Amino acid sequence: MKKHLLAASLLLSAATTFGAGYQINLEGLRQVAMGGTGTAWPWDASTIFYNPGGLARLKGIQAYVSVSAIMPSTAFGNQQQSGQTPTSVRTNPQTFTPFNVYIGGLVQENSRIALGLGIYTPAGSGLQWDNNWLGKYLVQSITLKTVFFQPTIAYKVSEFLSVGGGFVYGIGSLDFSQAMPVHSTLGPGSTDEGQAKLSGNANGVGFNIGAQFKLSDQWQFGLTYRSQVNMSISGGSANFSAPSSLRDSFPNTKFDSQLPVPQVVSFGAGYRLNSWTFQFDCNYTGWNSFDSLRFNFSQHTSVLQDQHAPRHYRNTFTPRIGATYKINKIVAVMAGGAYDPTPVTNGFVSPDLPDADRIVVTCGVTVKPMPRLTIIAAFEGTSTVKRVGDYTYGGFSGTYQTQAATPGIGLYYNF
Amino acid sequence: MRKIYIIGAIALLFSACKPSVKVSAPVSPGTATFTNYLAIGNSLTAGYSSNSLTISGQYNSYPERLFEQFTTITGDKGAKGPFIQPLLHGDDGYPSSKLILAVVTDTCTGISSLAPITIPGFSQDAQDAVKYVSPANNGQINNIGVPGIRIADYPVAGYAGLNPYAARFYHNTAGSPMDELSYMVNNLYPTFFTMWLGANDVLGYATAGGQGHGADSAAPIIGNIYNTSDITPTYVFETLYDSTLRVATSTGASGALINIPDVTSVPFFTEIPANGLYLARQTQADSLNAFWHTSFPNISFKIGYNYFIIQDNAGNARQAVPGELILLSTPQMNFTCLGWGSYVAIPKQYVLTTDELQFIRAATTTFNGFIKQEATKYHLAYVDMYSYLGTVASGFAYNGINYNAQFVTGGAFSLDGVHLTPRGYALVANEIIKTINSYYHSTIPYTDVNKYDGIIFP
Repeated sequence: MKKHLLAASLLLSAATTFGAGYQINLEGLRQVAMGGTGTAWPWDASTIFYNPGGLARLKGIQAYVSVSAIMPSTAFGNQQQSGQTPTSVRTNPQTFTPFNVYIGGLVQENSRIALGLGIYTPAGSGLQWDNNWLGKYLVQSITLKTVFFQPTIAYKVSEFLSVGGGFVYGIGSLDFSQAMPVHSTLGPGSTDEGQAKLSGNANGVGFNIGAQFKLSDQWQFGLTYRSQVNMSISGGSANFSAPSSLRDSFPNTKFDSQLPVPQVVSFGAGYRLNSWTFQFDCNYTGWNSFDSLRFNFSQHTSVLQDQHAPRHYRNTFTPRIGATYKINKIVAVMAGGAYDPTPVTNGFVSPDLPDADRIVVTCGVTVKPMPRLTIIAAFEGTSTVKRVGDYTYGGFSGTYQTQAATPGIGLYYNF
Repeated sequence: MRKIYIIGAIALLFSACKPSVKVSAPVSPGTATFTNYLAIGNSLTAGYSSNSLTISGQYNSYPERLFEQFTTITGDKGAKGPFIQPLLHGDDGYPSSKLILAVVTDTCTGISSLAPITIPGFSQDAQDAVKYVSPANNGQINNIGVPGIRIADYPVAGYAGLNPYAARFYHNTAGSPMDELSYMVNNLYPTFFTMWLGANDVLGYATAGGQGHGADSAAPIIGNIYNTSDITPTYVFETLYDSTLRVATSTGASGALINIPDVTSVPFFTEIPANGLYLARQTQADSLNAFWHTSFPNISFKIGYNYFIIQDNAGNARQAVPGELILLSTPQMNFTCLGWGSYVAIPKQYVLTTDELQFIRAATTTFNGFIKQEATKYHLAYVDMYSYLGTVASGFAYNGINYNAQFVTGGAFSLDGVHLTPRGYALVANEIIKTINSYYHSTIPYTDVNKYDGIIFP
């Protein structure tokens, strides 16, 4: 049964615009339910992501799987979109299912060394605008997917300190389409226009290290550093549809690109009082490495040149809080929230990633139907503020708002 | 497990509330009244594009775009239909063929490239020869733009005999454009008008390669008719512009005056660079130097880009100097087949020399200064299209498209290099709306430029 579920979850797609920028902060459901906090407290095997040092604190070997369903929707408003009666347009409904698989624990009872493997989806985005919308020459649809594999080792230095780290190998893909302003005649009074479709597979490497401090049974702290992972695409396929007389100007060719999954420094604190546990986390995310979205084509013509769309993201500081209350030996409930500021600065709010400061509200429940098995359910609701944004490079502006509802379910089993 | 159901229910609730961004700025007419809109002008107002007038060109004219946006004003100050243009039936061109893009092979080099051509086997739509009669009871026509018309033409009686576009819809072909304007103003009783006149008073001289009176000294060739390749004398321009405006404002209408674009910011004048003669090998430069050197010791060629050999005003050959312009009307194959610009001087009617450009710039500046003064005098909005089309020339991004003054690929200029594409006209409409909004404190929304076509490729 368990094996089955794991196989199924690997087939699910994994992307969306969920966290600020294109990070997806859904790597562990209990942490999600507590506002995304989890650097200090090693709750379960998902600490492989949240703090690899915490892996040495787990008892026994644990297998963990979870999946979430993100249903994001972005609305755009601009009086020109509708001309006479201003209304808003919205991206087509899509559901994305980022998943997590973790397995790991101490190599043997009373050992100081723990090993583990994490497979998770740290970043992604997906927007599907109407093909004829106002911003079609900038983007019609974009889907960015990533899956990271992280073999991890952790070492319990003392009762006070444990450290850990993992090598990260990331795979992913990018699909992008935009209209091209070249028209041809379809028939009397009707015209057709060109389109660019780009798709390619990406990969990159990095690491994730952390230290976990157990001050007392009440107080725990964590400090982690996740390196940047440059997801580079080489030899992606670029296909163009253009009027026949321009076919030589828009040859189907290959492209290279690069998207950084940013480096993150996290600090977390946890405090336990009777049945309550409170957590506080903050993430400092190095978005400024994303300075432009580049498409470098392997073949150039007078009209087909490399595209370097400037982004100039800024680093962000995200505070998160969460709490859990253990009702009894079987059931615990959680809640939390975060303020996730956008890395996108004014003048660079482009419709392929129209981001704004996010408010995140979360809740969840864990149920232990039998001693070794835990079932977790979490829910996250997120909404950006309405943002009036300009994208100077493309001469495009409008008001955006993104909302997403994300239920998630998972389970883990202690061997 | 009951709790999980509850969470599921919350999820459904949350996903049911989709974000929505309604941008509903109230549309206000400000201090102007847009009920009856009249567009006065020349080819740019008529919707002329790619060297001819067609029905689709008329539907894409900037007055049509303005009218659509004026109708978004609710209440009795918003524009009410119908907006009547003297529509043609045909889409191939009136009276001659429009230009279309086609793959053309240079007979001398054998190189094929996309170039504008007239429609092969063009024949004028028979119905277009029939005089246009307004379907409205009072004979109202809202767009009386006449391609080719100048301010200098406004007092010319029987003007319709000189201009087939005027002949098509002028109610009295024996009258002058001023008479016709007066008639239209009385029929429509405009509350708002736009007037974009004056460009042809300079452009005729420019497109003729500066053949005519460049200095402010042209005299009528017959009666009160000036040669179309002259620059209209300043006093004539000013007197007639003012009297035209007096007629246009006789109903007390508000309006906008649009000034004269800089001719040197349009592809017709900028597409062929004056130093467009590329020599790849030293032997080519050597043989050209040998060819010219005896009689013209100042002419010299080198590897790379060289200034073309042109005819100056006196008909003498010399090398062009920086800033001089070669017109797009120059037959392109003559460069390769006949050695124009290298062994043969480009005839003077295809060249604007430094002194000719000075006349054009001086006249444009003077006329625009006067139009601005008139806008103040008659309390009208002044649309600085000279500067706006200058920004197109330097290029800008608009809703994801890079517009510039590149011929064919620039997006805003049609295949004649002077008039605009449907998108170009929509950009112009938005610039006019911007000025109207600021002058009359109105909040008329902009038109969606990218909804309209650019250049059509085969």
